[in-house]
Amino acid sequence: MALDIDFLPLELEELPALAKRKKKAGFRFVQMLCVTTQDGIDLQYSFMKEASLENYTIRGVRPGTKVPSVTETYISAFVFENEAHDLFGVEIEGNLLDFGGNFYKLSEREPMTIISPAQKAAREKAVQEKAAGEEAAGEEAVGEEAVLEKAVASGEQQKAAEANDAKEEASPQEAPGLEKADRTAEANDAKEEVRLQEAPSLGLEEQAAEANDAKEGA
Amino acid sequence: MGKATVIPFGPQHPVLPEPLHLDLVVEDEVVIEAIPQIGFVHRGLERLVQTRDYHQFIYIAERICGICAFGHSMGYAETVEKLMGIEIPPRAEFLRAVWHELSRVHSHLLWMGLAADAFGFESLFMHCWRLRERILDLFEATTGGRVIFSVVKVGGVTRDISPDMFERFATTLSGIKGEYNQICKAFLTDASVKNRTVDVGTISQQAALDQCMVGPFARASNVNNDIRALGNGAYGALSDFKPILDSQGDCYARVKVRALEVLQSIDIINELIAQIPAGDIAVEVKGSPALGAEASNVLEQPRGECYYYARGNGTKNLERMRMRTPTSQNLAGMTTALAGCDLADVNMIVLTIDPCISCTER
Repeated sequence: MALDIDFLPLELEELPALAKRKKKAGFRFVQMLCVTTQDGIDLQYSFMKEASLENYTIRGVRPGTKVPSVTETYISAFVFENEAHDLFGVEIEGNLLDFGGNFYKLSEREPMTIISPAQKAAREKAVQEKAAGEEAAGEEAVGEEAVLEKAVASGEQQKAAEANDAKEEASPQEAPGLEKADRTAEANDAKEEVRLQEAPSLGLEEQAAEANDAKEGA
Repeated sequence: MGKATVIPFGPQHPVLPEPLHLDLVVEDEVVIEAIPQIGFVHRGLERLVQTRDYHQFIYIAERICGICAFGHSMGYAETVEKLMGIEIPPRAEFLRAVWHELSRVHSHLLWMGLAADAFGFESLFMHCWRLRERILDLFEATTGGRVIFSVVKVGGVTRDISPDMFERFATTLSGIKGEYNQICKAFLTDASVKNRTVDVGTISQQAALDQCMVGPFARASNVNNDIRALGNGAYGALSDFKPILDSQGDCYARVKVRALEVLQSIDIINELIAQIPAGDIAVEVKGSPALGAEASNVLEQPRGECYYYARGNGTKNLERMRMRTPTSQNLAGMTTALAGCDLADVNMIVLTIDPCISCTER
């Protein structure tokens, strides 16, 4: 009986019904966690029954969104929901054991939502590297396509087939006719992603700046 | 019925090994309700993962708790290995399991000593901790540390154990087992132990299931939940592993489950040593976890199931690392066990969940 782990998507409004369904099916509540992302906070709820561990993720919960509590179904979730509120600022509605922001003794509000400059730089670098890698792969494909067209034009069918094979071998997962326009769009998307990181989507920038100012002041 | 009074209990209290605060609502010495409060030792260790290399973080992971240190480093390493699709050598899996079971023995002996001290049996406390020292000697001889071991790394382990040392394991554990049986007999049959533990803080099987309790706390209420039974890693090589269960659900049952688990862990160590494969103890790990990759894992720590989650962001630092420790999951069960108990039994009930607030807060 090997451990079977699944990651599944979940919509916010489906959460209470899911918790009830899992309870009825004999699953136990394992944990709830939050991840700070550029699009908001990701919430993940885990349930387990025997060897089956199911992780349900609600993506990008924005500030101010009311998240329904699951403590009515699983009382043990009160620890995690209070933690989500104190460390991530997630607004939980209906927590049966709500500590009102005093679960952890913190010197700073919602500390897990602050993105440090070093962390931000590392993220940007990773996104840029990914975009550059995709672009390089695209250029390689264009070069190979040119060889292919030339070969076809000169009637060298054998050479064309060889070039085609070589191209497929080099990028087996890539769509065969990736147009330059598509690649430009992808590069633009990557740039947009970098810009999104810079946008104060969660007020994180201000918080980070405030934290830095406070440090400098100290 | 008298007037309800709220008695603050902890975070500093002679019987509490960790800073836990309870608001005890009492009427005539009977606890009506207990509201837990933590947050005194929150260190933000999960946050540190964002500024430390995923190789470096293993040394932080094992500092989450001084008792489950090995388990946390093992759980963290297994999760990152899942995240990056790394398969470690079988010998490394066996070595990790041997050390992990040795951790369980020392953790349970430590807890049994604290429990003995709590119910006023001080010589029993000393015997438990005396035996625990010999387990720590084995750790020191094989890892170089007695509390923090730093022997696990992503991709395997950093040290091997020689055949000579395995012989020393066998001799020491055999010696400990003989002495431990006498201690175990005192825990399970002595009237002074039973007076303080039988029918105290009882939790039914249904209540344990409703509260999603884990570890020995749940197994003492007949909840068959032990991650080792899934056979992950070297645990798959065990011929016949069965979780130790009890149906009484009281403090005595919790003492009994842990007392018997010490003997079970010694048997597991002997069985693993007998069939440990030869070969490498680690594989080389290069690169970084992919952007958006995520992995989760569960591990049976001495105090119960621990859940780990990791998400990569394409850099050497993880985007998120999560450890949900057994005590977090058992706090709701603890408040249920406290409701209706005598005020004098609060310390015994709190101790029998084996709380680790440092783990819970991280």
